Amino acid sequence: MNEETSAPEESGHVLFWLTCAGLATALWAIFLFVPTEKTEGAVQRIMYFHIPSAWLAFFAFFIVFVSSILFLWKKDREWDIYAQSSAEIGVVFCSLVLITGPIWAKPIWGAWWVWDARLTSTLILWLIYVAYLMLRGHVESGSARARYAAVVGIAGFLDIPLIHFSVLWWRTFHPKPKIISAEGLGTGMDTTMLVTLLLSLGAFTLLYFLLLGQRIEIEKTKDEIDHLKKERLYSH
Amino acid sequence: MRQYLNQVTAIIWKDFAVELKTRELFSTMFVFAVLVILIFVFTVDLSIVNVNEVGPGILWVAFLFSGTIGLNRSFMLEKENGCLQGLMLTPIDRTALYFGKMLSNLAFLLIMEALLLPLFMVFFNVDLFRNLGSLLLVILIGTVGFCALGTLLSSLAGHLKTRDIMLPILLYPLIVPIAIGAVRMTSKVLMGEPLSEMWNWVGLTLSFDIIYIGVSIMTIDHVLEE
Amino acid sequence: MDHLGFLFAANVFVWGGILLYIFTLKKRQQALRKDLELLKASLNKDSES
Repeated sequence: MNEETSAPEESGHVLFWLTCAGLATALWAIFLFVPTEKTEGAVQRIMYFHIPSAWLAFFAFFIVFVSSILFLWKKDREWDIYAQSSAEIGVVFCSLVLITGPIWAKPIWGAWWVWDARLTSTLILWLIYVAYLMLRGHVESGSARARYAAVVGIAGFLDIPLIHFSVLWWRTFHPKPKIISAEGLGTGMDTTMLVTLLLSLGAFTLLYFLLLGQRIEIEKTKDEIDHLKKERLYSH
Repeated sequence: MRQYLNQVTAIIWKDFAVELKTRELFSTMFVFAVLVILIFVFTVDLSIVNVNEVGPGILWVAFLFSGTIGLNRSFMLEKENGCLQGLMLTPIDRTALYFGKMLSNLAFLLIMEALLLPLFMVFFNVDLFRNLGSLLLVILIGTVGFCALGTLLSSLAGHLKTRDIMLPILLYPLIVPIAIGAVRMTSKVLMGEPLSEMWNWVGLTLSFDIIYIGVSIMTIDHVLEE
Repeated sequence: MDHLGFLFAANVFVWGGILLYIFTLKKRQQALRKDLELLKASLNKDSES
């Protein structure tokens, strides 16, 4: 038994230390390597967690989408586990975006929330996937729960471009924040900033996979317990 | 193909027949919509805000809220009388079942909207006739999107004990593009703009409609498996 | 102009949030593992008796 579990455990350990190293490097880059931005000051460094969190939330929900489709196609519990786990982690990252957004916005734009296109779309996305998790919580485990969740997982992701454009066009009627939005990225961004952003993105991606692995393991343990409980029931 | 259409019409006809007998669904939806509009009239000071901007928003909130009631109740009626199981036992194509349900939901909602429009005109002093054709088209494509996704989600949520709370929680975030688009388009249409000036919104709403009809067709089998 | 307080708050929320989530995951895993062991033990006992 020790031999069998050591291989996945080992890769788990490698991922863990890799993630720690990645995060340490990213933190170094964010706080020591990259110079302070001229117009916004030190607060601008929040961008280096805010943006990678947003990308990872999006990536996590993409995984939910793909896993949901694969589940409906193959009817394999494995895909359902991936969908559930990725959705939960996606909501965590999405929440980080919604928390760091206002904290960044307040000193820069003077208001906690400005209904800007990206933050609003993120809020809607958060609501969709929280609803996804609530749905899973309201149905007994089994084929029905997995199927319903998969449908919502697919419908939710396909909405993203529609939400993006509708919110964007809606917002162009309202005055833009006066200071240049720091979301005009990639345009005239210093190389050190780009490197720091990429390092942070890499670290967060590793973190995503680490958390995903942990969450998947929890579901698999739950499944094992349910399976054993059933065995116990029948053996009596 | 003929048989498929027959199946769809059978479902629609059944829903109308039930409704004509009981008249519950429609009256509930209509009264609720009127109440929603009234609450807004009382809580929003219409002398300050621009009616042309706020009016369409209130109208669509009334449509969406009462539409949700309609979706919930239409499914509930099936469940209550064991009708759903009966339907599932028939060798009917699941997508025909979906289309039947969707079209009957659409029909009820459109009829209700048609009755609400004169009230809207009266309460908010809006001129509906300036751009009537465009207005009706806008309301149609918005309502189709709502019914397309709403029917899928209500057939899903209908299996839950907590369906009354779960349907809105699932539906409303997803329906945001329709909400924003329909209100924008209605507002512009009421101000006299021709549809050609809002092609992006029309395109977006039509895309929503097509995407969610597509998703529903492809996933309804998995929802109605039992 | 630097608003360091905000930067600090953002860090607290981000890293605190991540650590909190990892902590809850670990707790859940521990509880589940315990349940699993108990179940396995009781199944072994049943098969022996």
